Amino acid sequence: MATKGSGLQAKVSRMLSKDFGKPILKPNKPLALRNEVANRKLRQGEASCLTEMSVMMACWKQSEFNHAACTQEVQAFQRCTALAQAERKARMGQESSGQGGRLHPKQANTLLKRHPNLYREI
Amino acid sequence: AVRPIKAAPPGLTSSVFSDPTVSKFVNMMMEDGDKVLARSIITQTFESMKRKQVEKYHKAPATEKEGIECNPYTIFHQALENCKPIIGLISIQKGGKYYQVPTPLTDSRRRFLAMKWLITECRDNKHRRTHMYEKLSQELLAAFMNEGNVIKRKHDMHKMAEANRAFAHYRWW
Repeated sequence: MATKGSGLQAKVSRMLSKDFGKPILKPNKPLALRNEVANRKLRQGEASCLTEMSVMMACWKQSEFNHAACTQEVQAFQRCTALAQAERKARMGQESSGQGGRLHPKQANTLLKRHPNLYREI
Repeated sequence: AVRPIKAAPPGLTSSVFSDPTVSKFVNMMMEDGDKVLARSIITQTFESMKRKQVEKYHKAPATEKEGIECNPYTIFHQALENCKPIIGLISIQKGGKYYQVPTPLTDSRRRFLAMKWLITECRDNKHRRTHMYEKLSQELLAAFMNEGNVIKRKHDMHKMAEANRAFAHYRWW
């Protein structure tokens, strides 16, 4: 393992140096891992209850906003919103606990802060 | 060890006459922390509503007597229900422009909007010299009958939502 690492360092320093013609690498950031992980949000956006809403609006248009005539559609819409809200709550609770075997970016960041990579001698 | 217990809020009572929606309405009407004034306005409102309804009851012929509702609490609750919007509009920014997107509302938000509309309508759009309880009682009775400015505002909101239904896909929740 130690031998593999040293070979990589030699190659990288060769690519950076100006002794062998033009340098192949010109990095603007240090060639080292950061002590942070990028925050990715994997939830895709979708609007919930669109069909129910459109059905309700069609009913409203027909009956010229007479609310007494549309009680069925309104109740269906409200049921759908209640379901969507419960689902969203369940999903939020589940997301923060486990991300399918992987670590949540926030948790990874806290761990890395506690045990950072040392690339400088202090 | 003894865990500290949260103190009960001052508006909470265990009496049979306490109503959480009425308390919420009183809190929303309160200005500068004057709960006594807000509560007295509400009681005067209920009293005036009861008086009007009882007057109507006594003047009505026997056939219509059962249809007239006299209990001011039921009138208040029914009027609030009639004022609650079913769908709301939310300002969403997309591509540099702001669009009014129709979205479902939670129950607490709907109740808050209904109460807010009632209070602002009574404060702004009425004659200067009428008392607040008078204006409120007129508005509540009109809302109970599905008429009046607050119901009109609710219908306007629904119409806007219906007109903007094409933007419903801009929501991501």
